[in-house]
Amino acid sequence: MNLKDCHNFSDFRKLAKKKLPSPIFHYIDGAADDEITYARNTSAFDDVDLVPNVLRGVEDVDLSTTIFGKKLDLPFYLSPTALQRLFHYDGERAVGKAAKKYNTMFGVSALATVSVEEISSLVDTPKMFQFYFHKDRGLNDSCLERAKAAKFDVMALTVDTITGGNRERDLRTGFTSPPKLTLSSLFSFATKPMWGINYLTKGKFELPHLQDFVKEGTSTNSSIGNYFSTMLDQSMNWKDAEQLCSKWGGHFALKGVMSVEDAKRAVDIGCTGIMVSNHGGRQLDGSRSPFDQLAEIVDAVGDKLDVICEGGIHRGTHMLKALSLGAKACSGGRLYLYALAAAGQAGVERALEKYKSELVRDMKLMGCTKISDLNRSNLRFRR
Amino acid sequence: MNINDCYNFEDFRKLAKKKLPAPIFHYIDGGADDEVTLNRNTDAFNDCDLVPNILNSVGEPDLSTTVFGRKISMPLFLSPTAMQSLYDPEGDKASARAAEKFDTIYSMSTMASFSIEEVANISSGPKLFQLYIHKDKSITDDLIERCSRANFDGMCITVDTLVAGNRERDHRTGFTTPPKFTFDSLLSFAMRPGWVFKYFTNKKFELANIKNKTDKGTNIAKSVMDYINEQYDPAMNWKDAEYCIKKWNKPMALKGVMSVEDAKKAIDIGCTAIMISNHGGRQLDGSRSPFDQVKAISDAVGDKLEIILDGGVRRGTHVLKALAAGATACSFGKAFLFSLGAGGQKGVERLLENMQKEIRRNMVLMGCKSIKDLDASKIIYRN
Repeated sequence: MNLKDCHNFSDFRKLAKKKLPSPIFHYIDGAADDEITYARNTSAFDDVDLVPNVLRGVEDVDLSTTIFGKKLDLPFYLSPTALQRLFHYDGERAVGKAAKKYNTMFGVSALATVSVEEISSLVDTPKMFQFYFHKDRGLNDSCLERAKAAKFDVMALTVDTITGGNRERDLRTGFTSPPKLTLSSLFSFATKPMWGINYLTKGKFELPHLQDFVKEGTSTNSSIGNYFSTMLDQSMNWKDAEQLCSKWGGHFALKGVMSVEDAKRAVDIGCTGIMVSNHGGRQLDGSRSPFDQLAEIVDAVGDKLDVICEGGIHRGTHMLKALSLGAKACSGGRLYLYALAAAGQAGVERALEKYKSELVRDMKLMGCTKISDLNRSNLRFRR
Repeated sequence: MNINDCYNFEDFRKLAKKKLPAPIFHYIDGGADDEVTLNRNTDAFNDCDLVPNILNSVGEPDLSTTVFGRKISMPLFLSPTAMQSLYDPEGDKASARAAEKFDTIYSMSTMASFSIEEVANISSGPKLFQLYIHKDKSITDDLIERCSRANFDGMCITVDTLVAGNRERDHRTGFTTPPKFTFDSLLSFAMRPGWVFKYFTNKKFELANIKNKTDKGTNIAKSVMDYINEQYDPAMNWKDAEYCIKKWNKPMALKGVMSVEDAKKAIDIGCTAIMISNHGGRQLDGSRSPFDQVKAISDAVGDKLEIILDGGVRRGTHVLKALAAGATACSFGKAFLFSLGAGGQKGVERLLENMQKEIRRNMVLMGCKSIKDLDASKIIYRN
């Protein structure tokens, strides 16, 4: 199997599984507890059916949408994810360049392995910086200033990682960052020699946004769950978010809003967007899926800020369903991470091409030529 | 696999399966008839989603609650279960010590393998006694008086075992107590010499609380089902329960209440609590699951007595959902019996530690500072 055999999400996942040492694959692939929320994030889309309209003249389809004041050529973007150089040695560079080529936004995590400065020099299309609220205020200020200086367009504060999720696959595989060769994982690393060679020869693994401030995750081995639990500030509250929002002074979003009440408060503190997200099912298992919760939130705040549906999206039709309910755009992590692991920039580009052609095809089949044609009359809920 | 590899219910179950002779494992693992209710008890939680609140500066959440007049450190305790020394020679003593260490309730079955006095001597932690009303009233009276003297905190009368459930796995494995070596089961016992060795080198198996009152279940091989059918009073009625409550004169629950109407009657006869339970799916197959029923019961009587949800609980998130739906606390039997079979007292301690961690983590992710914050606004049912 190679890249040209990858036609959908599950193909990219299979190829990634072949290429990655198993602790790293399962770090991407796994979720919290029994992974019930993770599964629901995708299966929720199957409880709704699309109802097409015919004879509409659909030769030209415009997929563009505007979020955070930026026009994107696609109604979805690439969520910020941590540690990308573990998945492919080019990491964020590959993802950023692919996003630029398709003129969509991509997110850079505070736990990124390439610096905001370097990204900014490579990518002039819309960029989002994902912010973790650390106990160390100096670190927080540094992240904010650097993202601002690097001309990032949007700041997204992650609010659903107050403590680390219970990712049992990581407990079993011993996943840490940087990877630690334990006896149990050694075999897996040994059977994927290309990954090992690239990891060791393509530049030192580092977390450029954090390394001046913390030792966790840089020189010592630490699990992500442990990082969340020990480094992030559990007392983070609405005031902190509001201060951050005004300090940033640009487009600002909360990532991980799930209740209507919180969505309304996000408007009050000056957010221009929210990501309805449960962190890809990686934090609170048993929590509601973004798509299940989307309509309520759009009804409450959809006219006041950009509502992004994040999580569980594997298909163009999933995006059409979310957009029909009123999301301004969709986003995903695994959506492109398997492709990154499978083939770097070429992999991410192929994934974007696949999703784009699905969207064009599905829009035509729905009888729609622009994103604003999609609305709830296109949908029927099964129950 | 050893006890340190056990992170969840399924892990403990697997390890218990390795360690216990098959008839004994299946006695714990099995339910009535087709085990439909057994499965639904856990599945029911998946039809309901948690909705977290963000930016709540939760810090360290308070997990404590008060049931049966005792403050316990977390809203989860050990259900009464019979014959625990079949799973570990220390049996009830191991469970009681583990529960005391985590400052939660240990519950003793009428059919415990250590006596009321023996356990009271080794544990000053919160204790609940489970009472079967016997045909011979003097047995019932004696049990109540002894619990009073031994300073048990609460008592529950089991009301869902008027006749024995049809546990077909036990028919097939020939499960009897004490275990009888049939040809079918001999191989399974022979393959677990550790269990056999411990069984024969420790104190003789007995039903310590009732050994002087009846010869059944002590020195002859007798199935539990036959014991239930012969000794328990199928004519038991509300008057008998009321009599016991008056005689006990301390916090008292009915265990096995499933209808709103019966929950109301429980208040009338002076109960301070009810345990919503179908006996772990071991009695009436096809009966409703506790989680499916808890909201209706809580809406009707939640302000007048404590509601314990018993059955299907395997995860911290299950406890959170039960509390949000109106339960005061949860209890579990199978999960802790597997941990007892897998690792004795250490196993139960590891399970309780895992559950405490899960409940704490999930409270933080939910944005809840204390279990009072878990109310109906925190859950949404899928349909």
